[in-house]
Amino acid sequence: MASAPPPSTGRELLSPPTDGISNLRFSNHSDHLLVSSWDKSVRLYDASANALRGEFMHGGAVLDCCFHDDTSGFSASADHTVRRLVFNYNKEDVLGRHDGPVRCVEYSYATGQVITGSWDKTLKCWDPRSSSGQDRSVGTYTQPERVYSMSVVGNRLVVATAGRHVNVYDLRNMSQPEQRRESSLKYQTRCVRCYPNGTGYALSSVEGRVAMEFFDLSETGQSKKYAFKCHRKSEAGRDIVYPVNAIAFHPIYGTFATGGCDGYVNVWDGNNKKRLYQYTKYPTSIAAVSFSRDGRLLAVASSYTYEEGDKAHEPDAIFVRSVNEVEVKPKPKMLPNPAS
Amino acid sequence: MSAGEKKMLTLTETTCGTLLNELQIIWDEVGESDAEKDIMLLELERECLEVYRRKVDQANKCRAQLRQAIADAEAELAAICSSIGEPPVHIRQSEQSTGSLKAELRAILPQIEEMRKRKSDRKNQFIEVNGEIQSIKNEIYGGGCASKDAAVNETDLSLRKLEELHIELQALQTEKCERLKHVHEYLNYLYLGCSVLGLDFKQTVSEIHPRLGEPEGKDISNGTIEQLRTAIQRMQEVKTQRMQQLQDLASSLLELWNLMDTPIEEQQIFQKVTCNIAASEDEITEPGMLSADFINHVKAEVSRLEELKVSKMKELVFKKKGELEDICRKTHLIPESDNAVDLAIEAVESGAVDASCVLEQIELQISKVREEALNRKDILEKVEKWMAACDEESWLEEYNRDDNRYSAVRGAHLVLKRAEKARVLVNKLPAMVETLASKTTTWEKENGVYFTYDGVRLLSMLEDYMTLRQEKELERKKQRDQKKLQGQLLTEQEALYGSKPSPMKNQSAKKGTRLSCGGAAAATGRRLSLGGNMLQTPRHDMPPPAKATPVTRNAKKSQRTTHDSLKDDGFQTLSSGRRGLDLAGLPVNQQSREIEFPSPMMRKPFSPISSTDSSRSNATNILGDINQKHNEMLQKMLTSNNSTTPFTTPSKTIPTAEAENIIMPQAASTRSTTLPIPMHLAMTPMQKPVSSATLQMAAITPAKAAEEEIEYSFEEKRAGFVLPRSHLVNLMMQV
Repeated sequence: MASAPPPSTGRELLSPPTDGISNLRFSNHSDHLLVSSWDKSVRLYDASANALRGEFMHGGAVLDCCFHDDTSGFSASADHTVRRLVFNYNKEDVLGRHDGPVRCVEYSYATGQVITGSWDKTLKCWDPRSSSGQDRSVGTYTQPERVYSMSVVGNRLVVATAGRHVNVYDLRNMSQPEQRRESSLKYQTRCVRCYPNGTGYALSSVEGRVAMEFFDLSETGQSKKYAFKCHRKSEAGRDIVYPVNAIAFHPIYGTFATGGCDGYVNVWDGNNKKRLYQYTKYPTSIAAVSFSRDGRLLAVASSYTYEEGDKAHEPDAIFVRSVNEVEVKPKPKMLPNPAS
Repeated sequence: MSAGEKKMLTLTETTCGTLLNELQIIWDEVGESDAEKDIMLLELERECLEVYRRKVDQANKCRAQLRQAIADAEAELAAICSSIGEPPVHIRQSEQSTGSLKAELRAILPQIEEMRKRKSDRKNQFIEVNGEIQSIKNEIYGGGCASKDAAVNETDLSLRKLEELHIELQALQTEKCERLKHVHEYLNYLYLGCSVLGLDFKQTVSEIHPRLGEPEGKDISNGTIEQLRTAIQRMQEVKTQRMQQLQDLASSLLELWNLMDTPIEEQQIFQKVTCNIAASEDEITEPGMLSADFINHVKAEVSRLEELKVSKMKELVFKKKGELEDICRKTHLIPESDNAVDLAIEAVESGAVDASCVLEQIELQISKVREEALNRKDILEKVEKWMAACDEESWLEEYNRDDNRYSAVRGAHLVLKRAEKARVLVNKLPAMVETLASKTTTWEKENGVYFTYDGVRLLSMLEDYMTLRQEKELERKKQRDQKKLQGQLLTEQEALYGSKPSPMKNQSAKKGTRLSCGGAAAATGRRLSLGGNMLQTPRHDMPPPAKATPVTRNAKKSQRTTHDSLKDDGFQTLSSGRRGLDLAGLPVNQQSREIEFPSPMMRKPFSPISSTDSSRSNATNILGDINQKHNEMLQKMLTSNNSTTPFTTPSKTIPTAEAENIIMPQAASTRSTTLPIPMHLAMTPMQKPVSSATLQMAAITPAKAAEEEIEYSFEEKRAGFVLPRSHLVNLMMQV
């Protein structure tokens, strides 16, 4: 752990959720931040103004949320519902229901569809534009296991489920997965996020490890993949391993940040296989991270993720820090050291 | 006769009688003779007659005078009447009139008086009208013809005449009005023109007439109007001329802009110039549009642009020249008229010749050269190849002369490869030259000119080269002969003095060793630079690629892991030893079989696995069987632990592991660093369905074993989400 931690953790947002934060995301159009929480709410913050702009209450814990455009978004709730939230009018309506708690929600700009993954072992696509009277479900696709994480890039959708399954879909043909894979990591998948350039995805597990995978199935394509350890603590020769809860790619440089239950956020350069930066330790586990649209801001949800069950923990908090270019810009490769 | 007169007569008769009586008495007294008395009485009588006659004459004269006065008055009256143009009111009624002369005169006098008054009145009117006419005429015709008519013709003061005069006056007045209007129009026109031309209106006008500039009292004389007209004409001429000038400037502006792609902002300033390019004279109304200043301003801009254009043209000429030279250089042509171009450029610079003309010329040359280049391209490419081959040849010669050529410096293998290639190339050289020569001759025949390369005929170059080569060949042959001779000498010597020194053998041995290690160094060096920088950074969180691991460590590990694989431990298959097997080319099946080993323990998050793993492996290394038992114990403990609480917290440590860690912390860390990547990579491709199936088996086994062991994410646990039983059944079915 080479770099000395910088002093600050960034600006803490006022009026944070009152229970565990399940996800947060920056808008693609502004510095607005959408936060879903176990306190059954979805909140909209203006990160640059540090102000709460809206709050939506749900019937159950909200496990995921995402933006539609700058004025509306979607949420996935443990009460089996998928909701559409309109920020301007503080209005919400139910897009549809799953048979189980809905774990993740993604909006695809390529198809204009909302995709949700649930613990009922299905994936559902929704058309948010059709009127509320009719069934907005476009399709239901059975998954081998409960969906734990999803990510969309372009026309690709990567679904990670329990049992370490990974299904890669082409959104234009959802009838069956384009690729059926198994996680390269041996332990439960925590998070999957596609590379912004659309060539692959990063997958993290509960056992302090991140795998970098590629869609290209050719030998040369697959030869590029690798995995690395992170979010571990070496104490007196013992490694303490923490789950890696969150991955967020920088929209410009393609580098990415990971957040773990050790309370650290690390920034990595996947191409050069280097860690670029480690931020100061946050009070508790990192539940989610997100870069703003221009990559100048990084939102960090420091919120206990119940990895050790119900116990006393630090209060849930959202930190927004401005990102220095040095922290995220890939560094040119070092010359090989002749000494070794 | 009244009594009074009778009385007077009687009185006078009495006085005369008395006087005569008195005289008679006196005479009688005196005693005058009768004669005397007669004379005296005669005298008295004569004298009395005289007095009478005189008085009658006098009365007669008076009567004549009266008559004259009346006639005069009548004449005057008639004259006045006729002059006024009235019928003679007083036609003499003297015949009827019975009055005395004096009464007549008395009657006529007031009439005359009245007529006189009327006449003077009329005359005054005439004077007035005449004055007005005069003044207007004065205004119109100037002061020249003044006061000639001022005197009123007294003879004709009739109303008709007055009417005529009035008509004249009116005509004059309307004319005056008209003229004023004209003058105003002209002035207006002048004003507009002046504003367009940027002249001082007041000054222009006061030059024509000093009073024209003032708001009142405009001069309307013929001269002024004429002057105004000429002034306007002059102005129009100036305007036309300037407009022509401006439009010429505008068109050249447009042309220059077009030519040089002048930015819009720069153009904007002169937009109003160019927008008037096709305007007629009347359409140009903007004040100052045609002022000398403005035209000069535009002129300056045009000349500036012109200069710019010239400089740009020059630049272009230079660029084109450069291009020409470049093409010539590339195609190894000698630019034929280099001097001509230089001269032309000089001429352009001095301004004697239009740059565009020269540009055209150069362009023509360029196209000519291009064409020629295209024509020569085929052969040129061959020449290029030949040249390259020659270079390689000379390099090879140089290289062959280098005694250290086989030393193991960095990149030596590259040089070796190059030499190999060069040798092949050199062997091909003669054939190459031959084909080139034949091609060149056909080309020369076709084109009727020598094929030159940088001004030298290519054929002669080729010939030179061939002779040189032959010479070299001869020399080489000579050398070889010499060597052979030397060899012979040596063998002879050997026969005489014993075994010959063999430097060659020594060298080759040395070379071999050097090469191998050099090659290895190079190879590793390269690999390191390709992907191994992870290795250089001593980090634990990023696993280094396998190839970069030092050999010694690798060996140790493979040894250790073979140990491990004997044991009943699924995790051990992760070790780098597996990689070793991989490299050794074992089939995938075997790998999968290794993975198949059922894990004795369901690994829970946060149990510091790698440390336990490593500790186990360490233990096997050092403690052997004892430790294995120990491990089993530990596993049991863990499973029991798991069954009671769903998590093992990261902060919790397992005492046995701890104890063992103390023994070999170093080994633990190395294990952890070498653990993952290749293993995962071997697993994922899943080319064989068997292996994937087995993998699934491994993953599912725990599910089969006990419901409790279904994996749940933190969120599921927190939400209290439990899979329905059907799920388990499904799972079983799938298996």
